[in-house]
Amino acid sequence: MFKYIKKPIEKIDGLALVTGNEKYTDDFSFDNMLHVSVLHSGFAYAKIENIDESAALKMPGVVEVLSYKNIKQILYTTAGQGYPEPSPYDTVLFGNVMRFVGDNVCAVAAETKEIADAALKKIKVSYKRLKPLLDFEKSENSKILVHKDDGAFPKIPVYYDASQNLAAKVEANVGNFEEAFLSSENKIEHTFFTQYASHCAIEPHAAVSYIDTRGRLVIISTTQVPFHVRRIVSHIAEIPISKIRVIKPRIGGGFGGKQEVLLEPIVALITWKTKRPAKLVYSRKEVFKSSRTRHGYRTIFKVGFQKDGKINAIHLDALENSGAYGSHALTVLSNAGSKTLPLLNKIENLKFTGKGVYTNLPCGGAYRGYGATEAYFGYGQIVDMVCEATNNDIIEYYKKWSIKSGETSPIFKALGEGKEGVAMTVTSTSLNECLEVGAKESGWYEKEKLYGANSTFNKGKRFKRGIGMAALMQGSAIPEIDMASAYIKMNDDGSFNLNIGATDLGTGSDTILAQIASEVLDTPVENFIVTSSDTDFTPFDTGAYASSTTYLSGQAVLKCATKIKEQILQVGAEILGVNIDEVEIYDSNVVIKSSNENQNKGEVSYEDICRYSFYQNNQFQIQAGVSHVSPKSPPPFAAHFVEIEVDTFTGIIKVLKYVATVDCGTPINTTLAEGQAEGAIVNGISYALFENYYFSQHGKLLNDTFGKYGMYTAADIPPIKIFLIDSYEETGPFGAKSISEININGALPAIANAFFNATGKRLFKAPFSPEYVLKILAG
Amino acid sequence: MKASFNINNSVSELELNPNETLLNALRNNGFTEVKCGCNEGECGACLVLLKDKPVNSCQVLAMSVQNKKIKTVKGIGTLHNPNLIQKIFASTGADQCGFCSPGMVVAAYSLLKENSSPSNEEIVEALDGNLCRCTGYVKIIEAVKRSAIILQENKVEAE
Amino acid sequence: MLSENLKWYFPSSVSQAVELIQKPGVILHAGGTRILKTQSKNIVGLVDVGNLKLNYIKFKNNSFHIGSATTFNDVIKFSKENNCLKMLGAALSQAASTPLRNRITVGGSLKDFPLWSNLYAPLITIDAKIEIRGDKSGIYSVEEYVSDGIIKSKHIIKEIIVPENENIIWKVKRFALLKFEYPLFNIAIAFKMNGKIIEDAKLVITGVKNRFKRFKKAEKFLTGQKLSNNLSDEIEKFIEPKFVSDYKYSASYKETVAKVYFNELLSEIIRENL
Repeated sequence: MFKYIKKPIEKIDGLALVTGNEKYTDDFSFDNMLHVSVLHSGFAYAKIENIDESAALKMPGVVEVLSYKNIKQILYTTAGQGYPEPSPYDTVLFGNVMRFVGDNVCAVAAETKEIADAALKKIKVSYKRLKPLLDFEKSENSKILVHKDDGAFPKIPVYYDASQNLAAKVEANVGNFEEAFLSSENKIEHTFFTQYASHCAIEPHAAVSYIDTRGRLVIISTTQVPFHVRRIVSHIAEIPISKIRVIKPRIGGGFGGKQEVLLEPIVALITWKTKRPAKLVYSRKEVFKSSRTRHGYRTIFKVGFQKDGKINAIHLDALENSGAYGSHALTVLSNAGSKTLPLLNKIENLKFTGKGVYTNLPCGGAYRGYGATEAYFGYGQIVDMVCEATNNDIIEYYKKWSIKSGETSPIFKALGEGKEGVAMTVTSTSLNECLEVGAKESGWYEKEKLYGANSTFNKGKRFKRGIGMAALMQGSAIPEIDMASAYIKMNDDGSFNLNIGATDLGTGSDTILAQIASEVLDTPVENFIVTSSDTDFTPFDTGAYASSTTYLSGQAVLKCATKIKEQILQVGAEILGVNIDEVEIYDSNVVIKSSNENQNKGEVSYEDICRYSFYQNNQFQIQAGVSHVSPKSPPPFAAHFVEIEVDTFTGIIKVLKYVATVDCGTPINTTLAEGQAEGAIVNGISYALFENYYFSQHGKLLNDTFGKYGMYTAADIPPIKIFLIDSYEETGPFGAKSISEININGALPAIANAFFNATGKRLFKAPFSPEYVLKILAG
Repeated sequence: MKASFNINNSVSELELNPNETLLNALRNNGFTEVKCGCNEGECGACLVLLKDKPVNSCQVLAMSVQNKKIKTVKGIGTLHNPNLIQKIFASTGADQCGFCSPGMVVAAYSLLKENSSPSNEEIVEALDGNLCRCTGYVKIIEAVKRSAIILQENKVEAE
Repeated sequence: MLSENLKWYFPSSVSQAVELIQKPGVILHAGGTRILKTQSKNIVGLVDVGNLKLNYIKFKNNSFHIGSATTFNDVIKFSKENNCLKMLGAALSQAASTPLRNRITVGGSLKDFPLWSNLYAPLITIDAKIEIRGDKSGIYSVEEYVSDGIIKSKHIIKEIIVPENENIIWKVKRFALLKFEYPLFNIAIAFKMNGKIIEDAKLVITGVKNRFKRFKKAEKFLTGQKLSNNLSDEIEKFIEPKFVSDYKYSASYKETVAKVYFNELLSEIIRENL
């Protein structure tokens, strides 16, 4: 039994958040601070022939203008990934070629934000307009090259060819797809499209910088990756890493959008140059057009299967619209295959081909789901189609064919992130139970029969109902690449400092990691003073991405706390005058193990232990720092069930009920785990139904506000039920895997399958806008 | 220029420009508990109570509300003296990143002050101007419901 | 961006306010939501209506008089508490969000006829009048107000006058996927009844080409008819709203859905009152 794990423990920053006491990046201001505004390109593709900033510089209060004219043209990738990054170095902070509407032209620093904004209007930019490339399906053979003679290159040995607009290319083959496909009794081939989307973290991107008392540069930033920020800023601004400190305060949500180094180098350069504090906060419109997005995707599935439903061969061909730069182009692409194809691991012939292509549209980046969302849209429908065609019950089908404990998939090794993947055996799954519980809780068996396109329930009706489901998997951290570390020291009242590089972006990871330490040391969560994400004071962590924090950083904390425990036991035993193997910890004490209840056990409190270690004998600081790299990326699993109503007159799809059963291993904090699932599901539903980027014929984003983009409020959400169905992952802390990303992947395929159940028609293009739905119903 | 405002039950002189929104005037004068998510009246992170009614402070020109009663989330409760609704928001998991929380709490507080036993419909309508991307709203709605129940059990006002 | 040198005026009478807005670049400020949306640099002065005592709802001469500075939520609250102005209450409840409805005023929402206004369609259908002060002081029907260049004159809306008629049956509906979203269009239908006979009918849609459309042929057809189930099908041919395509929806889609909604609302109104 756990004491602090698998409990609905309140977030350690909870009260401070809900009373408005916590500070976010924009809440930090400094004396003499400059305000920065960025001029973004209004053209999708243009060469800047000249920038005349003289009028702006003459304005009272304008201090600095940064553009290609005065900053070094250093190539980098904005992707906050491990080094060397798998994303191509194809970006300069301020260059002279504008590659999308929203690209950085220049930045102005001024005494006030108003002056900086006004100065932007005084900057005269002479553009030579170029014909933009806006159709990603035509990118590969286009005469228009998005990166031409700009020196862009891959940092790691991977396929990259700017002369074909290819930002990334991935291939994996298992068995012989072609042969198996040809000889299959049944074949299907379908093309699916998923769209651009904004992360919509309510806090916009922001960065503030200043010079500290010893001349070092301090950056406070809304980042998911403080250590990558430090490294990348050092690279671009040519400031030694030793002179940079990056602090992540509270962040108002990230979802991948803040795994990108966008604003930090700008304020860093301004501050380094002027020696004055500088602040840059993006407007919501800037976040929409200039930060990063979910990539647009085309996926083509070719599947050969037998009469009994056994799939012999599957080919997933993914075409990714990477936008103007290749940030995360390769890795999101790989994940489209590596997070879907292992699910039905008994398929012997698999093929994955993927290309990430440049266009003159906003840049894709990391976005919760990371390729899996895009690929599950088709994958989940394909499985439904196979079941439909072969008269298989989809629940039983997944139960039979999905990956089980003790099994593996060749895809794990075949598809890595910029290099070969890591072979692994799945050792924890409760997917079958997820399927059973989900079917029961959603009323699957009754409703699937009751509804149906030709049912009396739906026949001839304007409003048709349907139920659909999808099974899912994701990963937990990037194996053999991601590293996390933790440092713990003991204080003389028996409290502890827990210093972690891990980045709490609102997920509650500070709390979760404290719970893990609590469990190891058998002392309440309140006894941990958690400091996270400060490159000066916390040890390295790759950052908050790839569903890694609980699993990876959590294991680092577990190992670190275990070392602390050994030291505590050693001092405790010394005080009690017994051997270390005669003592154990219990409720913030070291006690002598005893079989005899009446015997005076002898105990010493953590407080006394620490004081002894500080002041009495053999003095030392009880402390430990530990790192952790995972040998594998154990997948979490989930089964999602959704019931919908289709208005066949207007095309509006209404979600009536959503049931999700989730195997995240051991949920360390049940409330936070549910919250992760609920948030991801609502985001998944709105992505499926209406979120989209609409562009003008010149590539300008048209719906760049929350109002025009569309966001669910509390008044729009359907009833959602989450069931956490534990498994126990031996390589994770107290059996934990991950939960943050997986649940965004279900809505697209499950709603599309429900639509089929209701109407007998298939949806191939997201979002399922009412007009598109009407078209499908008519055709 | 300076103008006088009644913020969280005390009179404050704020330094501001005549074209400034209440949101900017508040944030520039230290009331950073009021958050800015969009500046377009569409996210609700900047909600404050103006004469006891929730408004988007980014959609209010500060000069038009001089001397009017304004309450921010800190006027509802503080870290050391939190309001019951705030405590329940925290214990229910209605806060993830917490950026929308000050606005959400203002909306919830205003609802419960007017209506101590709101229906589900009344709750979601009261929150219809507050966006949250983290929680999916499930636990936020739950927190408001729980708060209402406890307020009723204790027969106390949302004070 | 609004000018940093913006001048504020706080007049205490409507006539003072009228005088102030004669100056170029000086406009009225009520809730301020639309001024902040447009962020016009050309505004040099704002005349706040806060001291004009235009925040009221009164009943006299069989009509409700709603002061132009009354907020949407005040109207909704009044409607609920007094069990009246139901159509207006229902239409305004669908507008924007709770905090915005605490700021958006009746007068502000009529000024310049923003495309998404939830106010016009119901006001037209219930024969509301608008009283203005300025060059063209007077009381106008909503259609007169928007069509005769009056809307462009320098004026203050004093109040809207909504006749109370218990024999009116009505429906309002907007097209939007989300609770808090600019609607694609708003529809309002109202029948003045004499027993089961339709004495007068109004069918209005806003959000179409030319901002709003009254279906006068349908209204004429319906006038004098007895309520019956087949009416909604019979007038279908008269409902031909014309839209403009936008980035999300084509004109033809909007037309399809508007027709569906009209049919649905007519069927409902008939079914509920047969």
